[in-house]
Amino acid sequence: MTTKAVVSVSDLEKTYGKPNERQYTALKGLNFTVDAGEFVGIMGASGSGKTTLLNMLSTLDTPTKGDVVVNGHDVTKMRGNQLADFRAEEVGFIFQDFNLLESLTAEENIGLPLALKGTSSKVMDQAIHEVAATLSISDLLTKYPAELSGGQKQRVAAARAIVHHPAILMGDEPTGALDSTSARELLDLMTTINEQQKMSVLLVTHDPFSASFCQRILFIKDGQIGSELRRGEQDRRAFYQQILNELGTFNE
Amino acid sequence: MLAKLALAGIKNRRRDYLVLLAGLTMSAAIFYMFANLATNKAFISANAVVSQAVIIFGFGAVLLILISLVYIMYANSFLLSMRQHDYGVFMMLGAKRRRIGQLVFLETLILGTIATAIGIGLGLAMSKFLVGFLLNLLGLHLAHLQAVYVPAIIATAVLYVGLFVLASLFNLLHLTRSTVLKLLHSDDQADQPKVNPGKQIGQALLGIVLLAIGYWALAAIKLLQVMAIPIALVTITCGTYLLFRATLLVVIRALRHTSWAKKHLNGFLLGQLNFRVYNYTRMLTIVSLLFAMALGAITVGSGYHRQLPQMAGSFDAYTLAVHNVTPKQQKLINQLHVSHQATYTQKRQGKVVYYNATELRQQPFEQLRTTGKSLGKNQYYTESLSAFQKKGLAGMDFQNLAIRGAYTFYTPKILKAQQFSRQAGKTMTVTTLRVKNMQQDQRVLKHLNQTELDRYPLPTGMTVGSYQSFTMMNAFFGGLEFMGYFLGIAFLAMLASCLMFKILSGAPGDQRRYRMLYKVGVRQGLMRAGIAKEIGILFLIPGIMGIVDVLFGLQMFKPLMQAPMSPYLGIGSTFLIFIGLYAIYYVITLALYWRIVLPKQAD
Repeated sequence: MTTKAVVSVSDLEKTYGKPNERQYTALKGLNFTVDAGEFVGIMGASGSGKTTLLNMLSTLDTPTKGDVVVNGHDVTKMRGNQLADFRAEEVGFIFQDFNLLESLTAEENIGLPLALKGTSSKVMDQAIHEVAATLSISDLLTKYPAELSGGQKQRVAAARAIVHHPAILMGDEPTGALDSTSARELLDLMTTINEQQKMSVLLVTHDPFSASFCQRILFIKDGQIGSELRRGEQDRRAFYQQILNELGTFNE
Repeated sequence: MLAKLALAGIKNRRRDYLVLLAGLTMSAAIFYMFANLATNKAFISANAVVSQAVIIFGFGAVLLILISLVYIMYANSFLLSMRQHDYGVFMMLGAKRRRIGQLVFLETLILGTIATAIGIGLGLAMSKFLVGFLLNLLGLHLAHLQAVYVPAIIATAVLYVGLFVLASLFNLLHLTRSTVLKLLHSDDQADQPKVNPGKQIGQALLGIVLLAIGYWALAAIKLLQVMAIPIALVTITCGTYLLFRATLLVVIRALRHTSWAKKHLNGFLLGQLNFRVYNYTRMLTIVSLLFAMALGAITVGSGYHRQLPQMAGSFDAYTLAVHNVTPKQQKLINQLHVSHQATYTQKRQGKVVYYNATELRQQPFEQLRTTGKSLGKNQYYTESLSAFQKKGLAGMDFQNLAIRGAYTFYTPKILKAQQFSRQAGKTMTVTTLRVKNMQQDQRVLKHLNQTELDRYPLPTGMTVGSYQSFTMMNAFFGGLEFMGYFLGIAFLAMLASCLMFKILSGAPGDQRRYRMLYKVGVRQGLMRAGIAKEIGILFLIPGIMGIVDVLFGLQMFKPLMQAPMSPYLGIGSTFLIFIGLYAIYYVITLALYWRIVLPKQAD
């Protein structure tokens, strides 16, 4: 297995507010990397800068200082259409609130990233059905989001996020709106995707249970990386306990 | 407390409320202006000489009431879409349904009453200035036109407040009957209609049959008289709706299965259309009707405007005849766009007027061709002197050059040059003028005509030249011409605000959807193009339908615009101007939508 970094972040800073107004620094010089095929979690309390970080990584927001390199692209130097194309090709997203288009069927939602690339409809159909089979949502394809449960919606969203084989899958509290069974199913799915397709996964969460599915966890506190945990050879339960312990001391 | 909260909600959406209020105010103002014209008996009896004109005025009134009704319904649904989330939250927090109902009722009613009151005020001001301005522009004069007319004020107030009471009741029922969840998530609800081919074909056929009946009714206005209008109105509205409903869904569904739908944002576009297909069907029906009525009214108005001079011109070979041109008159003549001019010397003695043969040979008297003339174009011819001696001499146009008294003329005689110079009698010259377009030269002609009348007053009941016919016809048909323009502008204004409401009520949901697309990595350009297509469809379909409606609907005006006039004459340029205006609307709407809906770029 190569140890090539998929994401590398150096000296990342983000300050909100104009220079002559009251400013707020959300990120204060972050440094970390995510290797190819890694499943990394980012944890922290509300307001610690988790979402800000993810927005930088996914180019939805621009950093004040520092560099973000994703799969060889320096994200901070991109503009306009480059940014859009980057999001469409290199990144797969799963959001807490699903972000499915309710005017499209599950199938059309999943096919959207491919349609943007101009993939032929034959290839598209094949890719959609493959990914649907992987996530066992083949029988939901003709339904509209309004007809799906939360767990089903999130699986459709996951399918959309990986159908175009992005370099990295990013999840922003993907289990936040799900019941525990659905949450577990989704996390198992993400693990499967990570293992089978060797796709890097970056999961932002404040939930220790979700985090326990990761191989490595970065804890953010006040805009900086406070500490780091590695799962190593432990089983998930033991890791979960370790996370809880860490959180106990971390938040004090 | 709840009332205070509700008020705070309104404050937060000040701009949307302002648009809503402005739209409703405009609608009430336009209605007042029309009611002022339509209910003013003195005005109608003074201006509507043609029997059908009364029907047209009645038609206009009914139409405007119906349009106002639909318009208020539209505005109301916009109001509801703005408010139901707030009220849903209040209910979720435990507010009593009855209390919410009261608030909604009051809110709608107060808004409506304010709009009506301001609208009537605006209507009064507009009647005074705008109507005057428009009349001046068209060079018309309408007798007994006054800005303040109490019955019209009452009619407007009663109609509008009545409609708003209905709207309030509707809102009350809607909010108190819907579940809290439905109110909170109204934006996410999709139309997911089932496609049933048999039913679909049935609807389409029924729609076409209804449209055919409507078009026939318009053409058969002579037979059906007043009944033609309600029949056409109901059948065309229902027909258009059914046709749209049947075909749109099928077309969208069919397109969704093609590979075209899988390219870029096409699938999203189709999804959007399908998602709101019923909403859009209603929208398209209303816009196509408003489009048709605005275009139809303006076409008729400009038809009269353009054709009245032509029609008047078909009565006489010359526009005006001036005797013994003074320097002041010559100055006026120089300002005219003359297409033909001739001057003859007259010698009047006893009951005879003598002309010089040499002059007539050099400048043969132009006569109007009365047989085999082509539509919309007056043709003139000259004869050899000997032929003129036999026939043309007795023509009204020539006789009119020398009037002796009411309905009596000097008898014209043509003498050889030598004889003419020896002939005794009162010598004077007469200059005949024909201008290219009386409308264009109206002001100068009026002035010139007045100076001529001051010097040589005509006996009552006599006219000389087509300018006299033109002024008479302006008095006859001017009311209709004005109505055409006025209603056209009114409908155009309503069309604009209907589209505005569509934008505002659809935008919040779309904002969210485009934000999602942005996150997923859709280029700005693609989103822009997608929006342009979606709004474009909303403009294009009713535009086409509206033009078809107008092409058939103009039949209705055939009895009012008899040969040589025709409602179809020269519609090309009117259509082009109107389509140009409509295109400008499209661009403005699109720019607004882009601004509201597109997510800001990160950089």
